[in-house]
Formats: sequence, structure tokens, C-alpha cells
Amino acid sequence: MLVHSIFFYFFSVIAIFSSLMVITSRNTVNSVFFLILDFISVGCLFIMVGAEFLGMIILIVYVGAVAVLFLFVVMMLNVAEQKQSWFIGKKSTHIPTGLIVSVLILLELLVVVGGWKYKDSIMSSSTLELSNISNTHQLGLVMYTDYILYFQMAGVILLLSMIGAILLTFRQRKGVKKQSYFNQISRNPSSSIELQEVETNKGVKIDD
Amino acid sequence: MLNNLNILLPEIFLTLSIFSVLMIGVFIKESFNLIFNLSSAIILFTIAIILNSSNETEKIFLDSFTRDSFSNFFKILILIASLFVLNTSKVFIIDNKIGKFEYPIIILLSILGMFFMVSSNDIILFYLGLELQSLSLYILASIDRDNLRSSESGIKYFVLSALSSGLLLYGCSLLYGFTGSTNFDLIADQLIQDNTGAVFAMVFVLVGLAFKVSAVPFHMWTPDVYEGAPTSITSYFAVVPKVAGLAVLIKFMFIPFSNILSEWQLIIIFISIASMILGAVAAIIQKNIKRLLAYSSIGHVGYALAGVATGVISGYESSIIYISIYVVMNIGAFSCLYLLKKDGEYRENIADLSGLSKKQPLLAISFLIILFSLAGIPPLAGFFAKFYVFTAVIEQKMYALAIIGLLTTVISAFYYLRIIKIIYFDDSAISFDPVKNSVAKLSVLISCAILITFFLFPAILNNVVDALFIN
Repeated sequence: MLVHSIFFYFFSVIAIFSSLMVITSRNTVNSVFFLILDFISVGCLFIMVGAEFLGMIILIVYVGAVAVLFLFVVMMLNVAEQKQSWFIGKKSTHIPTGLIVSVLILLELLVVVGGWKYKDSIMSSSTLELSNISNTHQLGLVMYTDYILYFQMAGVILLLSMIGAILLTFRQRKGVKKQSYFNQISRNPSSSIELQEVETNKGVKIDD
Repeated sequence: MLNNLNILLPEIFLTLSIFSVLMIGVFIKESFNLIFNLSSAIILFTIAIILNSSNETEKIFLDSFTRDSFSNFFKILILIASLFVLNTSKVFIIDNKIGKFEYPIIILLSILGMFFMVSSNDIILFYLGLELQSLSLYILASIDRDNLRSSESGIKYFVLSALSSGLLLYGCSLLYGFTGSTNFDLIADQLIQDNTGAVFAMVFVLVGLAFKVSAVPFHMWTPDVYEGAPTSITSYFAVVPKVAGLAVLIKFMFIPFSNILSEWQLIIIFISIASMILGAVAAIIQKNIKRLLAYSSIGHVGYALAGVATGVISGYESSIIYISIYVVMNIGAFSCLYLLKKDGEYRENIADLSGLSKKQPLLAISFLIILFSLAGIPPLAGFFAKFYVFTAVIEQKMYALAIIGLLTTVISAFYYLRIIKIIYFDDSAISFDPVKNSVAKLSVLISCAILITFFLFPAILNNVVDALFIN
């Protein structure tokens, strides 16, 4: 139990620290790296409470795809060294708006926590049967049997979005000369060299 | 479970054939024509499969997918409408150089989405179907990607529709939270007036659905998208998703929300009245036919919703009849647009129609019939559509709704008649070139024939629709 607590506090501290660094770091690329660290530690926390599938999904989807995509965007847009004009320099209008939004979110959180803390009926109503099968196994058992229709339809939706992305953005450039290895290798002097008599003052038309 | 899989046969056939034609399109160059004809054949085959399947209610996959007469009817309506919309617009597509082989494939995918929408008996399946359909429509709206207005309409539709999908999903999650199930039947048991949270969720679901059928006050996208998208896409937008949207709306009212009639009735009445009024008033000043048809479709959705607002089966039936006749009228109206070509360009301005009767009397008389029917003038089918709806409304003693509906009918008759006046009594401005689009001519002919002769055999449609709600 002690080891469990130690690990819990270890990951939690890292998660809180890195999420703070995400918003305070001056370098945007560093921010994204801290975001990745945050995702990883949250994923570890999920694994610790027994939701190993969720933890792995966070690792694969958020770290593997989303955060790396962020990183690419940040690097391509060249906003790495953004000036932190929020706190330094001229008066900004972001802070009051931000304060209002954060107070609202805090209130919402209080409501949520309050509702959960002082309403014991929710906790007692949970009738989940715990079994020895792991989460991933259980998901696999229903994903390909009872919920196969939803699963396949999600696949069709992804296929459609792929077709749409290609249809709306793919452009065939005209007039591009591509290298053709086979044609290059199979050339021989007789097919590629042409002898011409050059008339004076007229010249020859080379290539068109 | 495997032997029950034939319940899903139309969907499985459609999916597999979409994948096959996609592969054909990828590997064969310049294959628009081939894919287009194959897609029409697929639609015909799917109609045959559905006609051959039984109409008995059967459910599969934890009761999330239903096959019954209701879903079969709407599937066939969707397929026939898509078949006409696709084939009438083929010449237009090629003329406007948007003939990419993905075009019919995306249409087929949206049909697949609508199939799942009308067959769903579960929030998750419904939402997945809706997303499949909406995603196809975003792509279709911006398919003419080098045209600024087409891209604009795609972006506009995407942003607004994604927002409404978000609201809908929020409603669905609340519905799940407060009733403890995603299944329509189980939700219906739990959804009673005391369950305030679930009633709250119902409002969000209604907002999302109203957006999808473009009912006021969630109609803002309709005129811009209709005007900006290529006409072939606009005609699809105006006809097919409306059918699926209304089917799902009726399904939601009939199954999960059946116990809270008094809660949603007022909302639907408001949406219906607002759509009827806006559809009638805003269309008066329009100069573009596509924009005018957009406002007219908003108005027509209002009338169809008036039938839903009654909350009784006869009301739902009247609104199903209404939407079926609306499909016929709109296919005819858009087919006429495909025949208005001048100097290689399709004209969309109402002023261009002036004096059409002298140059092309046949086209002019078809326009006359379709517009009279849209206005609801007897003995055309449009009149009977409105007649059934208002009969159902008056039977429920909702006189205010009926009176407002009739008044807006009169107002909207003004702008339909204005077009007829321009066609018949104004001096001719331009003479249109002859268009070689025999399918469009045929479909104008068919829809006019149906609109004129409907009053002789109204029982055919009535009997079919009457059978939908017998379980």
C-alpha cells in the first residue's frame, strides 16, 4: 500500500508540475514537451487504478498522435520563441477574461465535487460486478460481438473522411516531369540519338 | 446471431458494393461514367432487396437495429429519391466538370448513413448514422472545390452542423445519464415527466434534429448552402436528408419521447409555426431560384412538423405523406433547373425565366404544375399533402396552428404565383439552349404525372403509410 501511495504522489506531482510548465514555459516547443510529460503521467495514474486500457489509449492516441502533431504544427508555424506579453509589458485584456472563465470553471468543479461528495446514493448505486478478466479482454469480448455494428460503422466513417480529405485537397500537378527508371535503363543509342544535317542560318529545333 | 444477419442484408450489400466500386474507381482511370452507372445499379438492387425482405419487426445487436415496415418504407423512399436526383443531374455534373468518381460513392455512403438513422433503435447507432450522413454532406457541399462559393457553403455547413451535432450528442449523453440506457425502448420506459434531467436532454436532441431538417430557428445555413453548392448537390440536399431527418424525428417522438408528449409538443408547435412563417415571408424577396427553393423547403418542413406536433399516429402519417409528396415536387422542380442552360451556363435567376412560355411551352407548363402543387392548389398532390396535415391538426383541436398554417399557405402562394406570372406574362429576355438531358425531362414528366393524377388514387400512398405504424 505504501509503495502504491509513493507512486501515486510521484506521478501526481509530475502531472501537476508539468501542466503548470505547459502554460508558463516561454518556449512553445518546451510547452508541448511538458504536455507530453503530463499525458504520460496521467496515463500512468490510470494504469495504477486498474484502467490499463485507458492508460494505454492515452499513451497511443494523445502522446503518439496528438502531441506529436502539436509539435509539428508548433515547429512549422515558427512560434517557438513567443513573447510572453500576458504578464509583462503593456496591459492586456486577456487576464480579466481568463479570470472570469477560471472562476466559472472553479465553481463548476465545486458543484461537481460537492454533488459527488455529499450524495451517497450515487456511490451505493454502483452495481458493477468485478471479475478477474482484464479491461482490455472485456472490451474485446463485446467489441467484436455485440457492438460489432458500431465498430464497423466507425470504420466506415473514418474511410469516408479519408476519401473526403483526398477528394478535397489532392491536386494533380500538370507538367511535372517524373523520373522513369525503366525507360531510362532501356534506352539505347539507336532510339535516343538522332543525326541531323544542320543547315546554315536556320539551325535545328532541339526539344519542344 | 449469424442467421439473423439477413435483417441487415440491405446495409451489408450496400457497404460491400460501396467498397467494390471504390476499388474500381481507384484503379481504373477516368471511370466516372462507369462508377455512376454502377451506383445506379446498386441503388436499384438495394431497392429490390428491401422489397423482398419481410416487413415484420425484428431487432438485432442488443435491439439496437430495427427492421420494420417503417424503416423499409423510408429506405425505399430515400433510394428512389436518390436514384432520381443522381440520374437527372448527370449531365449537369459533367457540364460543370465536377464529375469525379468519388461523387456517386459519397452519395451512396450518405445513403448508408441514412439507412442506419431510420433503422436505429439506439442512440449510439443513430448518432453514428447521422455522422456518416452529415460527413458525406459536408464533402458534397464543397465538392466543386475550385469554386469559391461551393467551398464557402461547405465550410459554413460543416461549422454549423458540427455545432448542432455537438448539441445533439450532449443531449444524448444526458439522456443516457438520466435514463440509464441508450436503447430507445428502455429510454421510453424511464422518460417520464418527473425525470426533469431527461426532459432537459430531450430539448437538446430536438435542437440537433431541427437543425438537420433545417427548421426555424436553426435554418440559417440553408439558403447559403443551397445557393453555394452546385445545383446537383442542392437538389440532393433539398430532398433526401430531409426525408431521413423527418423519419428520425418521428421515430424519436414515437418511441423514446412518447411519454412526454406535453413537454415536446409546444416546442414542435413553435418550430413548425416559425418555419411556416419564415418560409413564406423570406422567400418573397428572393431573386435566385435555388435560394427561393431553400426558403420554400423551410416552409414545407414547417408543414410536415405540424403533422408531427399533433403527437398522434394519424398526425405522423399525415406528415409522412407530406414529405413523400414533397420529394416528388422537389425532384420535379430541380429537374426543371437542369433544363435552363444558356451559353454553356446553367441559369438560376428568376428574372431569366421571363417569357419562358413562348419559347418552351412544355417546360413552362411543367413549371406551372410543380409550382401550383408547391403552393398547394387543388387538385394537385401538394394540396392533398396540406389537406391531410391540417385535417390531423384540426382533429386534435389545435386551431391556432391550423389557422397560422393556412395563412402562411396563402402568403407563400404569392411567390409561387409570381414565378408563374414571370414565366407567362413577362416579355421574354433570353431563349435557353436545348439541353440533351432526357432523364431530367423524363423525371419532370413523371413528377408532373404523379402530381396531377394523385387525386385519382390517393389510397395507394395512404394504405402504405397506414401500415407503417401497425406493429
